Amino acid sequence: MAKRILITDDALFMRVTLKNILTQNGFEVVGEAANGREAVELYSSLKPDLVTMDITMPEMDGLEALKQIRASDPQAKVVMCTAMGQKNMVVEAVQNGAKDFIVKPFQPERVIEAVSKLLAA
Amino acid sequence: MRAEFVNPFVQATCDVVRLTMGTEPKLGSLSARPKIFTATEFNVSCGIVGDLVGGVLYGLSSETAYSVAKQMLGGMEEIPDELSTSALAELGNMISGNTSSKLQALGFVCDITPPSIIRGTNISISTIDIPALVIPIELGAHGSLEITVSLKERAAVKAA
Ligand SMILES: [Mg+2]
Repeated sequence: MAKRILITDDALFMRVTLKNILTQNGFEVVGEAANGREAVELYSSLKPDLVTMDITMPEMDGLEALKQIRASDPQAKVVMCTAMGQKNMVVEAVQNGAKDFIVKPFQPERVIEAVSKLLAA
Repeated sequence: MRAEFVNPFVQATCDVVRLTMGTEPKLGSLSARPKIFTATEFNVSCGIVGDLVGGVLYGLSSETAYSVAKQMLGGMEEIPDELSTSALAELGNMISGNTSSKLQALGFVCDITPPSIIRGTNISISTIDIPALVIPIELGAHGSLEITVSLKERAAVKAA
């Protein structure tokens, strides 16, 4: 059965792009969240195998959503996917349990590599 | 504005343009904005907060905006307005995010705010008391991108 993924990004463009990349590579996109709060809610209702998480978003940013998702499920697999590639962001995300950190703009292969590796484990 | 803040914007813009538009960007000549200036027809605005405060405006003509959005969407025909607007907003977000990584390498830790869009003709913009600089970037066949940057060190803002 296809692995189930929840996409989180405030930009419709990025949600469409990620969905295309993931579905073309055999993954199922089960939900799309436009901010951190929606991601936390959809995570608990959909129980996806993996979450992609933007950082800069209105309402609740991706670092706060990462903390809340990991608090509710310590096994949650969250991959950050953000334009904020600076050291302090990477360190904070990894310390809070993010499994990988993809900096935008990305090549589709980078996304597939990160997601495949985590879902094979 | 300090000259050392310009290069991170130029480098980040060039990196993002090469990856998203497949075109080789060219830097034009920098100039200072007058106190009040007229914006281009399509603008993405991002705030910058942290060791530096201020904002950046990415300005495009309507034709350039359409051409860039179409390229970012893989040449899709019939692009819904919501999707092309989102692509350009994300372009501003990506350039701002990559810039903030480069600013951190210079010792300035900053966060950026989600982008907002300003569209229309004859829109007057003023950055009030933070003088603004224009960084023009040629995007090959797409046209040009005008980056208006107004940034101050936080301590300098407090002292003012
Ligand atoms: Mg975002």
